[in-house]
Amino acid sequence: MSAASAPASDPHLDRPRPSALLSTVGVSILHEGGTRPTPLAVDLAVHPGEVLLVLGPSGSGKSTLALALNGLVPHAVPASLEGEVLIGGRSSREISVAEASRTVGMVFQDPDAQIVTGTVLDEVSFGPENLLVPTDEVLARAERALREVGLWERRSENPDRLSGGGRQRLAIACALAMGSPLLVLDEPTANLDPVGIDEVYAVLRRIVRDDRRSVLLIEHNLDAAIDLVDRVLVLDRLGRVALTGTVDEVLRHRVDEVRALGVWLPIATLAALDLRAAGMDLDPLPLTARELTAGLDALPELPAPRLPGPEGEHRAPAVEVRSLSVVKRGTTLLDDVELSVPAGEMLAIIGTNGAGKTTLLQAIAGVVPPPRGTVTVGGLDPAKADVRTLAATIGFVFQNPEHQFLEPSVADELAHGLRIRGIPADEVEHRVDRMLARFGLTELRAQHPFLLSGGQKRRLSVGTALIAGAPVLALDEPTFGQDREHAAELLDVLARLRDEGTTVLMVTHDLQLVADYADRVAVLSGGRLLGAGPTSTVLAGDLIERAGLRPPPLTRAMRALANHPEWRSVSRLADLPVAP
Amino acid sequence: MTAATTAMIDPFAVRPDYGPVRFLYRLNPLSKIAAPLPAMIALIFVRDPLTPAIFLGLTFALILIGAKLSRRAALGILLGIPAALIVLTLSFALWTDPARTADTTNLFTIADYRFNTGALYIGASTALRLTTLAALALLGGLTTDGPDLVRSLVQQLRVPYRIGYTALAAYRFVPRFAHELEIIRAAHRVRGMAGGRGPIAGLRRYLGYVVPLLASAIRHAERVALSMDSRAFGAHPTRTERHLVPFRTRDWLFIAAFWIVSALVLLALPRDFLPLIGDR
Repeated sequence: MSAASAPASDPHLDRPRPSALLSTVGVSILHEGGTRPTPLAVDLAVHPGEVLLVLGPSGSGKSTLALALNGLVPHAVPASLEGEVLIGGRSSREISVAEASRTVGMVFQDPDAQIVTGTVLDEVSFGPENLLVPTDEVLARAERALREVGLWERRSENPDRLSGGGRQRLAIACALAMGSPLLVLDEPTANLDPVGIDEVYAVLRRIVRDDRRSVLLIEHNLDAAIDLVDRVLVLDRLGRVALTGTVDEVLRHRVDEVRALGVWLPIATLAALDLRAAGMDLDPLPLTARELTAGLDALPELPAPRLPGPEGEHRAPAVEVRSLSVVKRGTTLLDDVELSVPAGEMLAIIGTNGAGKTTLLQAIAGVVPPPRGTVTVGGLDPAKADVRTLAATIGFVFQNPEHQFLEPSVADELAHGLRIRGIPADEVEHRVDRMLARFGLTELRAQHPFLLSGGQKRRLSVGTALIAGAPVLALDEPTFGQDREHAAELLDVLARLRDEGTTVLMVTHDLQLVADYADRVAVLSGGRLLGAGPTSTVLAGDLIERAGLRPPPLTRAMRALANHPEWRSVSRLADLPVAP
Repeated sequence: MTAATTAMIDPFAVRPDYGPVRFLYRLNPLSKIAAPLPAMIALIFVRDPLTPAIFLGLTFALILIGAKLSRRAALGILLGIPAALIVLTLSFALWTDPARTADTTNLFTIADYRFNTGALYIGASTALRLTTLAALALLGGLTTDGPDLVRSLVQQLRVPYRIGYTALAAYRFVPRFAHELEIIRAAHRVRGMAGGRGPIAGLRRYLGYVVPLLASAIRHAERVALSMDSRAFGAHPTRTERHLVPFRTRDWLFIAAFWIVSALVLLALPRDFLPLIGDR
């Protein structure tokens, strides 16, 4: 597909060639007010027809790099650019963003922030109209682009009516309609549910099928993306190019270096690395669920997996839900839900969009008071309890932590929940100090909460939910819009809390995280509870498919095994055997 | 993130053509503003109840003929406007200083307060003026969509398209922010509010909503701007316009007819039989 690729590790052979659609030479970008430039001295090139995947740990400047690729840096974003970005052979400094848009089409992370007009057709026409393309050509382009993403039939609708995946497909159509040969996609699926992610990748696969178009993709969800990628470029923590080459060269042959850089690998690869450490070598190293299945099937025999034993003794329930129905403006959001969560467990609530997940969580936590007598949390009925008592029983963490910050500093933010209870100042200080230390925020105690990084904000919001001593913690999509590294970091925090006795309830879309961390899963569909049970039981059954979801990659890989029947119920990395 | 956007009136909905009888849809949005404008200004100054009443009747007729109303909208207009009229008449009448209407017939007296027919007269004319102003605004409001108004501002009044389309994009923010404010209020409620009840505490609470709302609004606006820039917004002094919103002879005719009728009502109406009250 691509022209001869540079050998891994030698970025200098990746210098721009005349055929490159887009190349960068020594690009460093320093945001206004920043202290060190990320990315740092990056050389890259994208050639016609190829798909380049850019990887890197959080903070390596991937998104900033994307903004430079169509001239938004330095033209629209206050940041200084060193080095040269060559777009179709011309320096980005010398051409406007509008001129660059003829070569580079952009798709950003948040589908909601890419809609400016009132209908799907107007939206796709917006770009070409700005370029003064004649009317009939605008319509021809719009039709081609919308057909390519499967939205032509919905052209007269308001984009708001599309699902998240639909809106992101629309954003791709908008980029296609610009007529640019290169698409730059910056984390295009980070804000989507699994159904939306599948939709977007089905469209991208179609787009790169013929070699007319090139794609530069920034993505942390490698499980979905890896099979359409030709070349990989990996940035290190400082934003420098650490590795570059074909998928095979980088992800298979230098996987240990990639992992050491803090880049999240596909789950199939992580599993294979664990197996390798336990003495089972899969060759070639699998990158997709299908390759993992094939690799395992090829092995003559496998040791027994470490499947979880039968459930231990039943602990008293921390949360009980009895025939809970919620009706809002004539629509039934929850229909007769019965659920019991043992104390000290982590429960994941899963389901497609609109299944009632958030409604259930908010009813349990009393954010929206449930009908009397339907919910008991730690012996309390949230429908009758006042806010302060409730907050001492169950802490609630909203999807966006900023929404719940009240105070001007991190320490005050934590102290808030104690001060409104009239707890003496020295006791408040003591407990705040403990919480700061526990969540690694001690040095930031005087910082304004809005100035924290994404991961720090999330930890602070968990801390504020727990400071009043709530034994139950409820989180609404805590990993939404975050990369795998931050998601796993947060889940580690939650797992530690669970091990210390906190009951954790969370709504999430990320089924691999559910498989790896949750003790128990409740599956919702159309407002009804399809079932709930221990994670391994739910993943082994058909509840997930019945709810319209797709099992997580590891479960898919293992279920498809032709040999090794005892491995078919493996769903967690922790189930894999360890070195003898 | 399911934005609560569907419940509101959709400012972007495309208005279809309902044929020559529903003529309001076939007029340029600007002519539906220009035509009633002199009457609206005049209504601010007239004092009698008959002038606004005639305009109200005319506007009703125009809307009922020229606009295709859903049953709910029709009901809202046919019942809502008269209901507003009655409520406003009574309220304004009660507000009127009895001293100003001392020389009119007394209807009833409570303690020192005297309610005279003159008060009813003043209340009715004020209420009529307000509702008629609203009805005249509905003439265009019910039958124009946001993008068409922006297009005609750009095409006829030469408003720079960068301003018009940016305003239109910003309009999308409104339902989004309303939804977000709802979440922020729930989030703050869950945290347990300090400061108790009363207006001061309420004000402080609202100020607490401002910071997260602004932070998110600015971030959202920046992202939308980057997306628009990436699609060459503002590249040229003009842009291709697929929908022309023409200003035709019928628009001139509509405006002229409306102005002539307005002038007749305002100037030629005999007012001698309706004495002005309380305005000397």
